[in-house]
Amino acid sequence: MVPEGMNAVEATVRDVLRDVLSLPQEQVDGFSADTELFGALPELDSMAVAGVLTELEDRLGIVIEDDEVDGEMLETFGALTRFAAERALV
Amino acid sequence: MLRLGPDHGPTILALPALFEEANRTRTLLVAVLRRLADHGIAGALPDLPGQGDSPLPTAAARLSTWREAAAAAAATLPGPIHLVALRGGAMAAATIAAASGWHLSPLTGAEQARELRRLRAAGGSQDYAGNTIADAMIDDLAHAPLPDGARTRVVRLAGDPRPADRHLAGAPPWRAAEAVADPALADALAQDIAAWIAG
Repeated sequence: MVPEGMNAVEATVRDVLRDVLSLPQEQVDGFSADTELFGALPELDSMAVAGVLTELEDRLGIVIEDDEVDGEMLETFGALTRFAAERALV
Repeated sequence: MLRLGPDHGPTILALPALFEEANRTRTLLVAVLRRLADHGIAGALPDLPGQGDSPLPTAAARLSTWREAAAAAAATLPGPIHLVALRGGAMAAATIAAASGWHLSPLTGAEQARELRRLRAAGGSQDYAGNTIADAMIDDLAHAPLPDGARTRVVRLAGDPRPADRHLAGAPPWRAAEAVADPALADALAQDIAAWIAG
């Protein structure tokens, strides 16, 4: 079942970051809207970004076009969750 | 070709995931085959030409040679043969007459090509996460159908909402840059495969 609702999308983004970046559960549990991601998390290099985007597509049943991807949506956990929710919750 | 377990059939012919995903999933796939061998089920894991320990350069890999290699491997194994394919590996199986197919998180050729192109863009358009892949191979994959064998089982991981015969708990190792051993997932996959081929 594709996750619906803001909380479900946020939980999915958390799980995707945990699984793609191989982060401990405690670390992703501690993420809040203003937790910095790209540039702050050493695990999140450009290859990992590709994995995060593709895994978000798989789990949320969305399509992300590459020209929609910019530094801003990857800046914080809140920004990435909003980006995902805008596509998943229509 | 890695061989495990007894030298009589049935034999599991395992087809690895593709390119960088093959590296990321090899530990899991070998762990699953070892568990099956411990149950007395034979396994064979070929290197697709241009992948793994194959002497062919990755840039020379083409889908047609993968299919020939998979069929040639199948011809040397004691039957009946059951295919176990990870991800896009199923696309190499199109010409094998197998007793059954078991697929972990399969994706279409078009999806595979899209993922590879995204990976290439992420790496500054030089190569595909360290692999040089011919444009013709990407084109092969983009148009490759998944085999539609009569008796096929699809297993996916818990976060994946797409339809499957079963969803198992675990993180997808093909997405993880650093391999994380997941013995519980290897156990669950091996048990599912053993029950499937016994059925």
